[in-house]
Amino acid sequence: MQRRRFDAMGTEVELFLDADDERDALHRAEDELRRLEALLSRFRPNSELSQLNRSGRMRVGPELLEVTTVALAARARTRGRFDPTVHDALVAAGYDRTFDEIAELDGRAGHRPVACGGRVAVDHTTSTIELEEGFRLDLGGIAKGWAVDRALAGLAVHGPALVNAGGDLAACGRAWPVGVETPRGTMTLELRDGALATSGRDRRSWRRDGGERHHLIDPGTGVPAEGDLLTVTVTARSATEAEVLAKQLFLAGDLQAAVAEADGKAIPAVLVSRDGATVLAGGLR
Amino acid sequence: MTDQVRRLYVLALSLLGFFLAWAGIAAHPWAAASAESPSAAALARYEQRLRADAALVDELRAQRAALPAPPVRVVTLPPLTTTRSS
Repeated sequence: MQRRRFDAMGTEVELFLDADDERDALHRAEDELRRLEALLSRFRPNSELSQLNRSGRMRVGPELLEVTTVALAARARTRGRFDPTVHDALVAAGYDRTFDEIAELDGRAGHRPVACGGRVAVDHTTSTIELEEGFRLDLGGIAKGWAVDRALAGLAVHGPALVNAGGDLAACGRAWPVGVETPRGTMTLELRDGALATSGRDRRSWRRDGGERHHLIDPGTGVPAEGDLLTVTVTARSATEAEVLAKQLFLAGDLQAAVAEADGKAIPAVLVSRDGATVLAGGLR
Repeated sequence: MTDQVRRLYVLALSLLGFFLAWAGIAAHPWAAASAESPSAAALARYEQRLRADAALVDELRAQRAALPAPPVRVVTLPPLTTTRSS
């Protein structure tokens, strides 16, 4: 078993490959993740995404075009609960720099709701994306999930593999024991040819206006989601899909609503509430 | 102009023509279109390999996305790696 660990995309990334003499494959997977981060991060002023957010209309490369298309399809599928145009709401909530830098600025004043649901036009014939005036894209979580899926597909050519980028994880080729943090300790899930994503307010949260803020914006209100959920972990076929489903359940309103939705749509999930309750839903046993 | 001077002009022009022809042949103009520099050829091969890899990755990703929901269950094994909120 080969393993490689490094920091990228604002988190610690781990790569596992169950094959001998394929160390180059791990290096290539790392290079690919770093390349995608350089293209899709909103915190990098020279990224393609930042350039699009500045210009409002731009001819873009295939990666940004595809992730944006996938994000817009997810917005339609979740009826706006997942929304890639929450950029300005995140900035207004205080998430205007990398999380390491935010920690140093905890306690700043100023917070206001910002409208989400901006129009985004994608023209595949000219590879052009156009944003409605006053809206910018944040592809954070979905871009990370998409990058994880891509890195895994690159590794899968060489053998059973697993890619874990913080809350976005994908694996293939064999059974992989994967830990999920809960208040009662780490729960292990056995994952085969699938993915897992965790969304929550236990990390990437900060204080502003005397209250706790976090990065999960409710597009309906334009401010960080309220509710009694602490974390939502979801399994799906791909990390991209798991990322969308985790946000969808987190924004369901509260634990009860999220469990009902996971059960109703057969979404295997581990839901943890802020008072410490841990519930398995969606057929997960 | 005397014959001597005319002969000198003819000799000088012949020498000039000879050297111009030599320079032209030495430059191998007929080879310019076919011979690629080794670095350009290596870059083209690298690009071709990247495109092939990208196509394979896209194909595998599409296959994975088309699979049914993955079987997953709670087990008592120690985890190999742990996920946390993104």
